[in-house]
Amino acid sequence: MIRHLFKLIWNKKKAHSLLLVEILASFLVLFGLTSLIVYNVRNYREPLGFEYQNAWAISLKSNEDTTELAQKIEMVLQRVKAYPEVESASRMSNNFPFSQSSRNNGIDYNKKHVLADFYVTDENYAKTMVIPVVEGRWYRSADSVGKYSPVVINRKLKEELFGDEKPLGKIISERFKVTGVVNTFKSKGEFMVDKPALFELVDAKSPWDDLLMIRVKPGTDAVFEAKMVKAITTMVAGWSVEVDHLTDSRKTTHNLTLVPVIIFLIVSGFLLINVALGLFGVLNLSIAKRRGEIGLRRALGATGNGISQQFISEILVLATFALLIGLLFAMQFPLMNVFDIQAGIYLTAIAISVVVIYGIVTLCALFPSRLAARIQPAVALHEE
Amino acid sequence: MINLTNIEKVYRTSSIETLALNNINLNIRKGEFVSIMGPSGCGKSTLLNIMGLLDEPSKGTVELDGQRVSTYRDRELARLRNEKIGFIFQSFHLINDLSVVDNVEIPLLYRSTNGKPRQTYAKEALEKVGLSNRIKHFPKQLSGGQKQRVAIARAIVGKPEIILADEPTGNLDSAMGNEIMNILQGLNDEGATIIMVTHDENMAKRTHRLIRLFDGTQVQ
Repeated sequence: MIRHLFKLIWNKKKAHSLLLVEILASFLVLFGLTSLIVYNVRNYREPLGFEYQNAWAISLKSNEDTTELAQKIEMVLQRVKAYPEVESASRMSNNFPFSQSSRNNGIDYNKKHVLADFYVTDENYAKTMVIPVVEGRWYRSADSVGKYSPVVINRKLKEELFGDEKPLGKIISERFKVTGVVNTFKSKGEFMVDKPALFELVDAKSPWDDLLMIRVKPGTDAVFEAKMVKAITTMVAGWSVEVDHLTDSRKTTHNLTLVPVIIFLIVSGFLLINVALGLFGVLNLSIAKRRGEIGLRRALGATGNGISQQFISEILVLATFALLIGLLFAMQFPLMNVFDIQAGIYLTAIAISVVVIYGIVTLCALFPSRLAARIQPAVALHEE
Repeated sequence: MINLTNIEKVYRTSSIETLALNNINLNIRKGEFVSIMGPSGCGKSTLLNIMGLLDEPSKGTVELDGQRVSTYRDRELARLRNEKIGFIFQSFHLINDLSVVDNVEIPLLYRSTNGKPRQTYAKEALEKVGLSNRIKHFPKQLSGGQKQRVAIARAIVGKPEIILADEPTGNLDSAMGNEIMNILQGLNDEGATIIMVTHDENMAKRTHRLIRLFDGTQVQ
């Protein structure tokens, strides 16, 4: 029967070409959408690697002041630490979690070159951000006495650089010594892909890394924030101070990811509804046109259910033709590693899109095919 | 073979009730070639549809090989139509998107005959009606007579015991009509029971028995 249906569809290919293009276009749009969703869901399921609740980022800008910047930053840090509301405070580069700035550099080890995100932080950063260290330990200021600067890397960088090798104590890029490994660190939020990352000990004498990360006690409010900002601006006159609550920054970052996905979802939704309605209409029309054939098939031995199954199978065969063409395009994405996204994401998106397309066409065919099954053969044959 | 007792068929709409058949009693024996005649609208096709299990009578009983079919479900009726009955229609009812051989194969699809034997049987049936050189053609490429021969091949491909022909020569000229009639007579000679609706007295004369209907009632 399948062969018979293939012949029937193939011999009517011109009449079906528009329908085929519609299903193909729907598949491709759906594939794009599901790739985006699968990519983001997969990322979301990976742990963030730190706790953003009750964490504040204090940006210090020295403006016109150019004297003793490092000492002033250190002084502010000590002042902030002294507040009973502050559980932990540390200094870091301005690419703090959920910020829009980023910093990356190449890391070399044994002829391997990996591009990694760089975070310059002090020894308290792991405590402040609640980052679990899974191998070794977080670096201390005392570790910087040697020739090499101590660094902590994330699991991703460890896998790419060392594979199964033990990373602790290894020298990378001829200037860093690995003291510890953390699991994940997705500074741009849950939707960010887990990228290679490296934490480098901040140089206490450097005037550049002027951002303070603090963890406050739960329930600490804006009154404390105002008091702290006022105290800082009094200490370092002429500097500007800006406080970002990571909970708010996270929302903004999420919006940047989610809004395009939602827009894409709405547009695709409308497209799929249109295609579904189109299919529904075309099938209804096709059944009205083929009443004689339905009567004939009933006369030759088809049951009502058999007729219903035939119409559903026909649309499934048509969808299969469209999907085969669609797969030729879609399979290029994992094969050519487009956008440097894992092949598994594309393959999952392809599988979901195929299932959804088959689901939609089956749903659209269900009602018209039931109508076809109810056609009285004697009446249909007489009409012809 | 086919036994109709007190058959009545009424078509009802919300406002009109039409009596299409009234008190029809008929017994068709195995191997008979029967023609049904009557003016348009007298119920010939309705009677043929009831005998072909495509329609149900409003009253009365239909027996096929001694079995009452009124209790049969859709699946059983479909099986009987597929295995015991072959249909030939005035307007051929060929599927234009399928080739001649694919059209002829259709009844075998519904009894799940495999591809190769299906094609062999279809070719044999086409050979029988003299169309073995047209198997790859499409219905639109055939003349009226050739189309009807394809329809006959389709009707006989499953080797049914009964052939129901609804004005098989109605759309053909007399020469072509005679050719079709010769084929039907040949099939009857081979043992098929044939019931044919016709308007043509000459065709009817070539059958064993003539049944005349008038206003839904059997008059002969």
